[in-house]
Amino acid sequence: MTTALPAQPRTASEHLEAVARVQGVAKRYGSGDATVHALRGVDLAVRRGEFVAIMGPSGSGKSTLMHLLAGLDSPTSGEVWLGDREIGALDDTALTLLRRERIGFVFQAFNLVPTLDVIGNVMLPFELRGAKPSREERTFIGRLLGELGLADRLGHRPRELSGGQQQRVAIARALASRPQLVVADEPTGNLDSRTGREVLSLLASAAAGHGQAIAMVTHDPIAASYADRVVFLADGRVVAEEGRMDAERIARFMLTLEDAR
Amino acid sequence: MSGARAGSARTEHGPGVLVAALSSAFGVALIQGTGLLDAAAKADPVTGASDTVGALLRVTSVVFIGVAMYSGAVVTTNTFSVIVAGRVRQIALRRLLGSTARAERGAVAREGLLVGLIGAVIGLVLGSGGVAAIAAVARAAGVLADFPYSYANPTALLPAAAVVLTTWLAAVVGSRRVLTVTPMQALGGAEERSEEEGRASRLRSGAAVALLSFGALLLFGGVAIGAVDPLGLLVAFSGGIVSFTGVVLGAHLVIPRALRIVGRLMGGSATARLAAENAVRYPQRSTRSTVGLLVSVTLITTFAVALRTFGDMITIASGDDPVYYAGVDTMLTTVTVVFSVLIGFSAVIAGVGLVNALSLGVLQRTRELGLLRALGFSARQLRRMVLAESGQLVLTAVALGLLLGTVYGWAGAHSLIGAVRGAPALWFVGLPWPVLAVVVAGGVLLTLVASVAPARRATRIAPVEALGVE
Ligand SMILES: Nc1ncnc2c1ncn2[C@@H]1O[C@H](COP(=O)(O)OP(=O)(O)OP(=O)(O)O)[C@@H](O)[C@H]1O
Ligand SMILES: [Mg+2]
Repeated sequence: MTTALPAQPRTASEHLEAVARVQGVAKRYGSGDATVHALRGVDLAVRRGEFVAIMGPSGSGKSTLMHLLAGLDSPTSGEVWLGDREIGALDDTALTLLRRERIGFVFQAFNLVPTLDVIGNVMLPFELRGAKPSREERTFIGRLLGELGLADRLGHRPRELSGGQQQRVAIARALASRPQLVVADEPTGNLDSRTGREVLSLLASAAAGHGQAIAMVTHDPIAASYADRVVFLADGRVVAEEGRMDAERIARFMLTLEDAR
Repeated sequence: MSGARAGSARTEHGPGVLVAALSSAFGVALIQGTGLLDAAAKADPVTGASDTVGALLRVTSVVFIGVAMYSGAVVTTNTFSVIVAGRVRQIALRRLLGSTARAERGAVAREGLLVGLIGAVIGLVLGSGGVAAIAAVARAAGVLADFPYSYANPTALLPAAAVVLTTWLAAVVGSRRVLTVTPMQALGGAEERSEEEGRASRLRSGAAVALLSFGALLLFGGVAIGAVDPLGLLVAFSGGIVSFTGVVLGAHLVIPRALRIVGRLMGGSATARLAAENAVRYPQRSTRSTVGLLVSVTLITTFAVALRTFGDMITIASGDDPVYYAGVDTMLTTVTVVFSVLIGFSAVIAGVGLVNALSLGVLQRTRELGLLRALGFSARQLRRMVLAESGQLVLTAVALGLLLGTVYGWAGAHSLIGAVRGAPALWFVGLPWPVLAVVVAGGVLLTLVASVAPARRATRIAPVEALGVE
């Protein structure tokens, strides 16, 4: 594990640039003998314009980490920062507003509001803010929907879509309002490899072109190779972290992780 | 495990038992009460000879009990269909393991029978006890004479038995969907599928339209006849019954459309739109949760408007004689109040059903509400959404009921005394403002009350609850 680097931000300026940051977070479920340690002290910062992939064996705590990073759940101990705000200090409403303004999500499953059609789901973040998208934003969203192959599906309800199409709608929604942070839990999990690659390019260009921070969980080494940085979790800890890696190295590293178990 | 089971049985069947108990208590109390009054009349040397009072009391109480039972049965049907909708996965899993659809439905029907039995017995005790307590107070106050009356009145068992029967039937009808649950649904994706309930038969819709049109024809025909002869009332009355039967039978056509219109009036914010969408998401469920309220409001309004219009027309025809007016007014007011209170009881049952439907709806949408929280719905917005949904249902029922009731009431008065010399023009309507105000206030109150529990439950849902993959 010689490639592993410490996950802490090294300078003050990196601190400032971090869109989201967790520090020493632990998350436990249950109590007594039945306690599950989902996370055992993790530090991670996602910076502006950075595309980070999170990898690790099943049950290693990736989803848990994403939920904390996005302010959806609170840690058992440790701190979670969104920009310059520590979320432990925020009340429910303040946290809700923060999420609404700054974060876009793609979950592992059940992403869409069943009573809204595709365009309704994509526009929901704007409506929640009470903001009308500008003309420029509308063009952007139109292009996004086109690139995701949803242009002729706008009036459909989620149940009329395949799993992969639903996931693409969720991706469109997460990117539509260009939030500072996009958290995506296996966004390519239900997609064929070509559509998957298109989604990954979209995420990469959201980071490079619009300066958004992207945190993406994935099991797929090829998907992770699109990221600027790959973070490996195992058993609730960050065990390795490296800049851009090619798929083959990622795959080899994952195998050693899984063998080590 | 068994503790959790018992807890969930209480939340699932609590409202069913409550509705059965209310219907049964109401029926039993009316029977006991009229029996008591009947006995009082017989004991009185003046009225004792004739049985007209008793007969009149019995006929009217049958009508009131019928309305309450109908309201209760519709509500219970809804309760069971919502319960079954929530159990689809579980049922599908058992089907996958080899259970037959009939066995599954039989199990639900047995639960219905049990719910009906428990509720009926509670109602029997409460209804008889309530009347006995009131009688005791009245005797102590010297209002009621002392005469023998036995509460072991076998006719009082009738409404209780009817409740058992209707609750069981409601469970059978409400569980129709069990038959359509396939073992495949145990394997289905995490996304909720729409509640595909059996489509209302074309026959039913056709019958509803036919009844409505024919009834309307009779109703307006009755008004026309009434302009020359008071016999018009009989024609209009049958027209009213026929057309309203059509409305209730065709509620699945009328109410969802009305809900859409009202939903559009609620505004275009995300909260309002989601609430509006949700109210029409399961049209059958929304129809059943509002039709009881619609019936009650229509009946109350019909009577109040009819009596007020009647009173006003008589007064105008008699040349505004103040003494005469005062006499008519008190009598009409008393009748209106008694009638409204008795029908109001059915409205309470309908209200229980509405509260229950909203609560279970929220419970079954836990994931979706969690998702909304994750996306940035604040607790306040969620609360407003539930309130809007509740308001949309109540407003639709109340508005439709007021509209229908006004037409019926107008028709009733004109068909009876349109021919009286000096009667005002055909379009004259006397509006009983106090009654209408009470109805509207009741609607507002119900909207608020109905949304409290579901809203609290909704805001307690954490965003992460949307994320669990089952
Ligand atoms: N609500 C919960 N209650 C109890 N344990 C939980 C809960 N959520 C997660 N866990 C446990 O925490 C650990 C980490 O879960 P997490 O969902 O973060 O894993 P993951 O890395 O995302 O796995 P996968 O790749 O399978 O999605 C697991 O052991 C899981 O069983
Ligand atoms: Mg996961």
